[in-house]
Amino acid sequence: MNTIRHGDAMLTDWRDSATRFQNEVGKVVVGQERAVRLVTIAIFARGHVLLEGDVGVGKTTLLRAVARALGGAYERVEGTVDMMPSDLIYHTYLADNGRPRVEPGPVLRRAEDLSVFFFNEINRARPQVHSLLLRLMAERSLTAFNREYRFPDLQVFADRNRVEREETFELPAAARDRFLMEIGMEAPRDAQARRDLVFDPRFHDTDALINGLQQGVIDHAAVTGIAGAIQHTIQASPEIEAYVVALWEALVRPAEAGIRISGIDMAALIKGGVSPRGLAFLVRAARVRAWLDGREFLVPEDIRDVFPEVMAHRVFLEPVYEMRRETIVPGLIRAVFEMVPAP
Amino acid sequence: MRRLILLLFALFALTGPAWAQVRSVEVRAPRPFGYFVGDLVRVQVDIKVDPGFSVQAASLPQPGSVTYWLELRSITVDETRQADTARIRLNLVYQSFYAALDARALEIPGFALTVASNGQSGITTAKAQVPAWSINVSPLREVQPPPREDPLEYMRPDGRAPLLDPEPQLKWAALFAGLALLALILLARDRAWGPFGKRRGRAFAAVQRSLRGLGRRPDQDIAYREALIALHRGLDETDGRRVLADDLPAFLARHPAYRVEENGLACFFHASRLTFFGRETAAARSQWSLAEVEATAGKLAAAERMAGG
Repeated sequence: MNTIRHGDAMLTDWRDSATRFQNEVGKVVVGQERAVRLVTIAIFARGHVLLEGDVGVGKTTLLRAVARALGGAYERVEGTVDMMPSDLIYHTYLADNGRPRVEPGPVLRRAEDLSVFFFNEINRARPQVHSLLLRLMAERSLTAFNREYRFPDLQVFADRNRVEREETFELPAAARDRFLMEIGMEAPRDAQARRDLVFDPRFHDTDALINGLQQGVIDHAAVTGIAGAIQHTIQASPEIEAYVVALWEALVRPAEAGIRISGIDMAALIKGGVSPRGLAFLVRAARVRAWLDGREFLVPEDIRDVFPEVMAHRVFLEPVYEMRRETIVPGLIRAVFEMVPAP
Repeated sequence: MRRLILLLFALFALTGPAWAQVRSVEVRAPRPFGYFVGDLVRVQVDIKVDPGFSVQAASLPQPGSVTYWLELRSITVDETRQADTARIRLNLVYQSFYAALDARALEIPGFALTVASNGQSGITTAKAQVPAWSINVSPLREVQPPPREDPLEYMRPDGRAPLLDPEPQLKWAALFAGLALLALILLARDRAWGPFGKRRGRAFAAVQRSLRGLGRRPDQDIAYREALIALHRGLDETDGRRVLADDLPAFLARHPAYRVEENGLACFFHASRLTFFGRETAAARSQWSLAEVEATAGKLAAAERMAGG
């Protein structure tokens, strides 16, 4: 018998699940509390995540751990230069009887049950593949075998490393805009975590490590419904609305907001980006953070906490500054938060 | 009697009615003799004319060289009106540069003045001729002085300059230097130069001022929100950035002077969240009233003064 529970109580239960989920992933990915927390926020905001960082800092491990703890069908592809969009959809081969066969590829294999699609080294794939992802990410649907496939619970996780530039393709702006977050990962700073990672044999065998995780800590099929409930439950006051719009305005027109960064012509810094979709994603993510904090309303801290990961990759700078974006954009975001008053 | 009348009543025969217009010209000088090279010769010329006449400034002699040995240094005109006559008094200062070898008389040339009256029938003019007069000049020394071995002995020693007392000037200089320093300090404070660069505005004092009178407002909810916003802005100004509730520990670490009000600030941030983001102004007011806002602002302002902000 189903017991009818009050919506708030349901959300509270789910909050406990989310905490268990974070703890479970944290057993495997040590010293990356912020990344784990942001991925959790992304899951409950139903957003796609792009992880980027150095080689060997645990991007893939984190995503595998998240996929296992989340449960549901899971597919993984490795980006390569010669990968074509059809490689994701169809699998073509010669059967035993010598006849060519076409079967569903990685995306379609689990059909509509697919909950995590993990795209490793996404920047090694060609722009054609990125274009395919656009629809998959934005509409969670795909047309193949003359019919439309829908993936209501699909979440795309991708990673790329920042070290290599050869044989890689920069993601088009439209594709980047569809990622809810771009999470930068660095090796943990905490001395104990570093020691453990290097000397504890548990961390050396990634497969065993991942398999040791409890599977399906949260019910992946219910996350979509919970995500909707969170968005409707967490209130945004007029003050927070004004705050977000003021942040947006200051980020797009920093010179008019009175922001100064030495050595940079603020009037000719921002080329574009900072889309309304980006702002909507920001508020989605902030609402999830408020829910994880046990609040029923948004506060400026929610916005500020998720802002760099949600917004930084949506800011497009003039070409003269683009090469220095890794220092300019965080400085700009910090300045925006120091300038815009709340409330 | 200091002045000696040198020449009296030099009268001029003028035709027609002009005769009556210039009645008399008198030249007075202190003495007609005893002048050496470089001496000033002061002369007073009184011209009596008919009422209504006055001297035309353009006809006055111009200061400057008169002859090769004589220079007119200055000339002033003083006109007085009496009942039936007008008197024009010229004060002339000449300087003689004649290096005489013997005592001799030299003539100072006269000059003509034009006097004019602006009557009903037009302008009437007349000439007043100031006559030439002479002075006796004398040499300073004998023509052939006795020979000396050292030619410098012909020279007189330089006159001794009086010793000036620098005391008052030093006092004034010290006074103005003090004033200039004071002005510099005020300017440096205003512009936040040097040591004043670290000075912050008295942010919480301003908050305290702006909270005055809020308690008497008719709409207490709005007054309460204004008070919270004022305190937010005070914190922002003190820290130089926007301070949110989660930043309180970091804020207190940066500004340990305000640790005394840690509880008050925590209550403030809680109330602010409820008011602005939770839309529960009434609940916030019951937990932390406007009076407590004012009390906290007062304590913060006191801490700010103690910190020497």
